[in-house]
Amino acid sequence: MIALHRVSKTFGAGPVKVTALSDVTFRMSKGEFAVVRGRSGAGKTTLLRLLYRDEVPTDGEVEVGAHDVTSLARSEIPELRRSIGVVFQDAKLLPGRTVYENVAFVLRVLGMPRREITQRAFSALKAVGLSTRAQAYPWQLSQGEAQRASLARAIAKQPAILLADEPTGNLDEDMAAEVFQVIADIWRGGTTVLLATHQLGVARKLGRRTLTLDAGRLVKDEG
Amino acid sequence: MIGFLIGEAVRDLARAGRVAVAAVALIALSLGIVGAFWLLSTNLGAAVAQWREGVRVIAYLRDDPGPAAGRLVDRVRRLEGVGDARYVSKAEALNRLKGGLGARASVAETLPENPLPASIEVTPTSGVATPETMRGLVERLAAMPEVEDVHGGTAWIERASHWQRLLQIVGVGIGLLLGLAAVVTITTATTLALHARREEIEIMRLVGASEAVIRLPLLLQGVAQGLLGAGVAVLVLFGVHRVLQPLMEPLAALTFGLPHIAFLSGAAVAGLLAAGALLGGLGGLVAKGRA
Repeated sequence: MIALHRVSKTFGAGPVKVTALSDVTFRMSKGEFAVVRGRSGAGKTTLLRLLYRDEVPTDGEVEVGAHDVTSLARSEIPELRRSIGVVFQDAKLLPGRTVYENVAFVLRVLGMPRREITQRAFSALKAVGLSTRAQAYPWQLSQGEAQRASLARAIAKQPAILLADEPTGNLDEDMAAEVFQVIADIWRGGTTVLLATHQLGVARKLGRRTLTLDAGRLVKDEG
Repeated sequence: MIGFLIGEAVRDLARAGRVAVAAVALIALSLGIVGAFWLLSTNLGAAVAQWREGVRVIAYLRDDPGPAAGRLVDRVRRLEGVGDARYVSKAEALNRLKGGLGARASVAETLPENPLPASIEVTPTSGVATPETMRGLVERLAAMPEVEDVHGGTAWIERASHWQRLLQIVGVGIGLLLGLAAVVTITTATTLALHARREEIEIMRLVGASEAVIRLPLLLQGVAQGLLGAGVAVLVLFGVHRVLQPLMEPLAALTFGLPHIAFLSGAAVAGLLAAGALLGGLGGLVAKGRA
């Protein structure tokens, strides 16, 4: 499902080069749950960005599903991204749209019929426990609700893979627990999940495979 | 999907606010000026065409040819470039003068003898009333021994025709300059909408929207502004024409012999609307490249 083979990523040129990832290799099967942990600057975000082709590796190969992401043409990127849902530390909700509209927007952009949009959007909101907040605007939500709305938007298109980049970074413990619960439910529904976090406790609590990055190197692959 | 694209374009237009209004106003102004010059030029063109049809060359005769007038007219008719020829006797010329004098026709009665010469009125062959062909016709008529003098030509019609062309060039020139300003304004309006939409565009790219879906609303927004501006220009021109037409027609009939001041043809209106859409589309296209 996901495969990285000797992947390195360097930013900058000349004497100001920064190595974000160095010689990273691992595989994930369909339906697997893995946590990428590491300190801030360890390369977690870069790793995720390589998977949805927001960055291109300097060396190595990246495969996602049937896509050879490394050699993907620009015109093929949308097709790759349709199979991936992404959530960030910041919920990135559109401020002028309600929770429902934020979720439906993604489906409209992808050209789905109106009836299917309504059905899928409400189903996604139900999955994250936000059915009753569908008409609320982002500024009316708590941070935990905003992050769950962001998760609803990511899963509404029913992606095969969910990438979550520090989704609880801005949340207190209770709210973080709610969000992790939702992510775990999404994974139980059959979605492959790769969750990046610097919170060691989370990784342990979920008790799944843990990939540890340190200064861009994959130093541990457990579970 | 089409509904979504149009909806996004309308939302962007609303976001651009005053800049979008300024862009529409500039398009309306530039196309309004082009349309006004076009309107003037079309009507002047109609007058010129009418004048060409009415061109006559008068060949004044040395003596009254008497019964030989018929043969002389036949000879004139056989000349190159002559469509028709008609003999006007001295008596008929005097009657015409009296008719022209109206109430003061009695003045002509006081003349000791008829001073007017007999003449032949020549109508050039249809469609050949250019300065060159008319010059040739005048020379051929003047070379006839019976002819003393030849009057008539198209020099003044050609001058009017030059004015018509000048009107067209000035109109298109001013329209182009203002059109360029309109394209820049539309680009600014669309770029503003683009900045307001950057979060949406980021999300759209992230979820796998095609580039067409991301960029098409920008193009549509430009086209909508252009069409709106052109529509305003046509409406204003139509209103001004409706108000001025009854006031100007008597003057136009008197000065140019034009009985009716026409509005722009359907094709011309369609052309102005298409130009608006094109200018707007161009602005949207430039902004689209920045997306």
